[in-house]
Amino acid sequence: MSLVDRVKHALAGDDRVDAEQLVARLDALQRFLRVTDPYLPDNDLVAAHTLVERAGSRLALSQDHTVVALAGSTGSGKSSLFNALARLKLSPVGVRRPTTGVAHACVWGPLEPANRLLDWIGVLPRQRFIRESALDGDDEAALRGLVLLDLPDFDSVERGHRLEVDRLLGLVDQVVWVVDPQKYGDRVLHNAYLRQFKQHSDITIVVLNQADRLSPSDTDIVLTDLKRLLEEDGLTGVPALATSAKQPGMLNELREALEKTVAERQAALRRLSGDLDVVAEQLATTIGPPAAEDEVDRATVRQLSDALAASAGVPAVAAATAGAYRHRAIASTGWPLVRGMRKLRPDPLKRLHLSTDKPDAALEAEPVARTSLPEPDAAQKSAVGLSVRAVAARAAAPIPPVWAPALNTASRSRLGDLPDALDRAVAKTDLGMSRKPLWWGVVGLLQWVLTLTAVAGLGWLIAGYAVRVLGLPAFDNPKVGEVPLPTLLLLGGLLVGALLALLLRPIVNYGARRAGRRAEQRLRGAVTEVAREYVVAPVREVLNGYAQAREALTVVRSE
Amino acid sequence: MARSRPQDLAAVLAPDPPVEPPPAVGDLAQALSRLRATIGGTTYPLVMPSAEEAKRIGAALVAQLDDYLLPRLARLDAPLLVVVGGSTGAGKSTLVNSLVRAPVTKAGVLRPTTRSPVLVSHPSDSSWFRNGQLLPGLTRTAESSTDPKTLQLVSAPALGPGLAFLDAPDIDSVVDRNRQLAAQLLAAADLWLFVTTAARYADAVPWELLTTARLRGTVIALVLDRVPADAAGEISAHLAEMLTARDMGGAPIFVLPESVLEGNGLLPEDVTRPLHDWFAQLAADSNARAAVVKQTLDGALAALGPAVAGLAEAADEQATAAKALDERVTAAYRTARRSMENGLQDGRLMRGEVLARWQEFVGTGELLRTLESRVGQLRDKIVSAVTGRPAPGRNLQAALESQLATLLRGVAADAAEQAYAAWQAHPAGTALLEPGLQKPSPDLPQRAERVIRDWQQYVLDLVRSEAGDKRVVARGAAYAVNGVGLTVMIAVFTSTAFIPTGAEVAVGAGTTVAAQKVLEAIFGDQAVRSLATRARTELIKRVNVLLDAEAARFTDRTAAVGLELQPGAALRQAAVEVERSREEVALTGTPS
Ligand SMILES: Nc1nc2c(ncn2[C@@H]2O[C@H](COP(=O)(O)OP(=O)(O)OP(=O)(O)O)[C@@H](O)[C@H]2O)c(=O)[nH]1
Ligand SMILES: Nc1nc2c(ncn2[C@@H]2O[C@H](COP(=O)(O)OP(=O)(O)OP(=O)(O)O)[C@@H](O)[C@H]2O)c(=O)[nH]1
Ligand SMILES: [Mg+2]
Ligand SMILES: [Mg+2]
Repeated sequence: MSLVDRVKHALAGDDRVDAEQLVARLDALQRFLRVTDPYLPDNDLVAAHTLVERAGSRLALSQDHTVVALAGSTGSGKSSLFNALARLKLSPVGVRRPTTGVAHACVWGPLEPANRLLDWIGVLPRQRFIRESALDGDDEAALRGLVLLDLPDFDSVERGHRLEVDRLLGLVDQVVWVVDPQKYGDRVLHNAYLRQFKQHSDITIVVLNQADRLSPSDTDIVLTDLKRLLEEDGLTGVPALATSAKQPGMLNELREALEKTVAERQAALRRLSGDLDVVAEQLATTIGPPAAEDEVDRATVRQLSDALAASAGVPAVAAATAGAYRHRAIASTGWPLVRGMRKLRPDPLKRLHLSTDKPDAALEAEPVARTSLPEPDAAQKSAVGLSVRAVAARAAAPIPPVWAPALNTASRSRLGDLPDALDRAVAKTDLGMSRKPLWWGVVGLLQWVLTLTAVAGLGWLIAGYAVRVLGLPAFDNPKVGEVPLPTLLLLGGLLVGALLALLLRPIVNYGARRAGRRAEQRLRGAVTEVAREYVVAPVREVLNGYAQAREALTVVRSE
Repeated sequence: MARSRPQDLAAVLAPDPPVEPPPAVGDLAQALSRLRATIGGTTYPLVMPSAEEAKRIGAALVAQLDDYLLPRLARLDAPLLVVVGGSTGAGKSTLVNSLVRAPVTKAGVLRPTTRSPVLVSHPSDSSWFRNGQLLPGLTRTAESSTDPKTLQLVSAPALGPGLAFLDAPDIDSVVDRNRQLAAQLLAAADLWLFVTTAARYADAVPWELLTTARLRGTVIALVLDRVPADAAGEISAHLAEMLTARDMGGAPIFVLPESVLEGNGLLPEDVTRPLHDWFAQLAADSNARAAVVKQTLDGALAALGPAVAGLAEAADEQATAAKALDERVTAAYRTARRSMENGLQDGRLMRGEVLARWQEFVGTGELLRTLESRVGQLRDKIVSAVTGRPAPGRNLQAALESQLATLLRGVAADAAEQAYAAWQAHPAGTALLEPGLQKPSPDLPQRAERVIRDWQQYVLDLVRSEAGDKRVVARGAAYAVNGVGLTVMIAVFTSTAFIPTGAEVAVGAGTTVAAQKVLEAIFGDQAVRSLATRARTELIKRVNVLLDAEAARFTDRTAAVGLELQPGAALRQAAVEVERSREEVALTGTPS
């Protein structure tokens, strides 16, 4: 909570935590984790996972109970205070340090409903006590719902105590830190504990116990010094009370504070809300400015599809298409005598095992045969690698660097499938060579007609020659001008056919270039599709995750 | 009440110490100075689990040598310094005041109260402490101060000569500076008077310090202060048990009951009497004093060996880590080099763009024309001038250049990434990295192109010098050199995998054969092989220079921290010399 918010809250006179809003924030955190789990390093998310789990458990348990822990150094008087508050000798007090080794619990009110809570916290059944007896009358009624814990110490040579305290401090709703005149300035108390609770000032109470050992003026001096230290720890404004377990009168303030806590039934929510603040602050480094889904811009995709096109052999296929066009055009429009020879030469497209038929929609599911395009060379592979990196780098540019590894991995996640996908894309692309242009047929027919004309002329001439040889009366060949018609037919047919073929050459070449360009365009389209599906889409998925995580974290941070 | 009687001292100390200053003390002092210089000169720049600890211990050892070992060795007869140390609020200041029966150091309810050390000595001894050989880093003052860099000197006639008390700051409060200062002061003590209380005696922090004191062989006495009257037996038994368990059973324990302070803030005299008497006896007995001094000194000297061994290990770890980091980089760039060589060798570079351009070059007949006459050259020049299209030869050269440069950039990018990841997996590596290292250097594309262009120039020069006298080249002059040069470059990529396999046969084989044939026709096959080999070797050499420069972006960082090859050896050597001299000097009388 920022200072401004705090002031606002104070002015509104309302620092209650709304349970529904808390649940919404926790849900958002859960969403955040679900989205980011595959992408962010585990280490960054451990605290959040722990919190989600713990909050879920705590909210499912009794909210009518408030778990308050007495924590502090050995000998500060936790057990003495515990007993004094309970007005019973429940937890052993001793001169041997450390005395308490396991947590003791005292429940105000019936034990049964609190039992599940204590099971979860992990207080042994024989260490649980109840503070309710008919003898008390209404004396203890104000504390009904309080579950008071006496914790072990955290600064003695018994390391196990400290581990137990660390575990328990994560689970309780409120902490009363018990310090004494000798130890209130200890490093371990402030650095390892109080400072870690700076986001939890609303569930923190500090008591200077054994105040009976100080004169009243010294008590004030020490309390002031203690407050200064607390301020340095970031715990501004937490209550710091002087208490004594030996003088019943000096416990009233603490009792009142506990009664207030119990009455409000807020500590559990405040605790979780504070935990959420801490976690949200940690996670804030993983989220930065918004990243658009189309962060991977056109130029980057173009560069990628250029590299992929080269490695998929698109220029070679385009060239082969142009070759095939030329080959087929000549085969169908060339001089019929030459055509036969043409047909003996292989079709350039077929040589690459590329089908020329239009892909049949009904056969879409059919396996696509591999082409015989050459494997990409080392330089082409490098180019693909470089442009895939560029895609990841482009996507990573605006967002925090923790995401970079995920984007890198995503960009490469389908790299292994890429060669096959490219090959299929090339094989399935309609190169526009399935239909013969109409004019090929017309010209082909014309060529046939011309050839037939020449043949007819030739036949005629041969017939005339045979007639002459056989001494039969010669035909009277009609003449066109000076030239006899059969000769004209023969020579004209041949000449016009050859001329036609020659004249059509540039047109065929032009058509071939166009066919090549068209094929290249379609192939590029297909390759770009592959680039989007195999490289850009996984990257987008991560960016999408980032956007969702960003949205979720905004909710987590809202208060 | 004291559990230990003054006579117990005999049990604590070595029997019958020698009185004469031993002759070899000078050697020992010299060996110590050398050790100090060596420790001071050893650095731990790489971030390693052992480095922080080593830095701390190294600094502490240097401080101990300066503060205590060297000055103490120079004046074995100087007064015995009792450092009163312990937790905050344990009552150290109160105890010092009570022992000298005067409020010489401030006690108070604020934790911590004492911020700078106060040294109390008999007036006759104060000159020794004032001249500043002991703890030379602390400025001597006469007034009380809170500056941790000062040492307040107070004379107390109530204290006998030969003995001085130093009230040290605490070891466990939030004030970090106090803890460092206390450790420094305790390292300079002839005798540790360790003060703890009924509430504190099981705290973890003081026990850590007690353990270091034991390891160092320092003479220790304990004061268990502020003990509730009825608990004295139980607590002191527990404390004695804890001491025995930690191998310090011999240390005397003085148990002081919780008592109401007198008006001037002093403990009642009868409470401190056992302690007072113990010190009075020690002050009076110069032999006992000398024995304490020598035992602590000898212990501190003996502890140098293991401590320095730890430093040597950490220093060697640094060198090993630097080497491991370098090796990771070398491995990454070795892979890069190998993929570059493979890319060049298996003929695959000849399949894409380069092949197309080569076919164009050969197919249009430009190659042969370059070799034939000036007429061809002239015609091509005119053609390209008219059509605005570059001649196929230029296209081929450009294709070669861009393919090679792309390949080079690719392998460099892979290597940078690999080296980065390898360093990231190493604690020392992570600290040396910066994000830019993940990618190859920003000007790599330009430099890669430059390398390839320079190599092409080299090949042309090679052809010129090798074949200058060949008729065909001579006739075509520069123009022919170009054609042959390109042919040689093509041969570089094809000669090992001479016959391409599979599908490429249809596309490529003719080409490479053609290249080979052209060259053989001009030069003869032996010369061709040598030309292609030299061209390839040169290319690989130039590429390696570039990759080495890339690798140096990493290795420069390990080099910059400036580690020697075996930094631990010097430390070990210096420690061995100290240990030898220590045994010769035999401070405690029994050479060990
Ligand atoms: N004068 C005085 N003594 C106290 C007070 N509280 C505790 N003590 C004493 O301090 C000592 C330690 O008290 P405990 O209650 O056992 O302390 P603790 O914090 O539970 O200690 P551990 O269980 O070791 O962590 C006992 O001897 C108590 O009598 C107090 O308010 N005033
Ligand atoms: N009643 C009583 N009070 C004591 C005794 N010893 C010390 N005190 C009080 O405990 C407080 C701390 O005593 P100091 O002597 O300042 O403790 P210190 O060990 O020097 O503390 P730092 O300077 O903070 O390291 C003072 O208020 C003393 O009056 C004692 O035996 N009995
Ligand atoms: Mg206890
Ligand atoms: Mg003091």
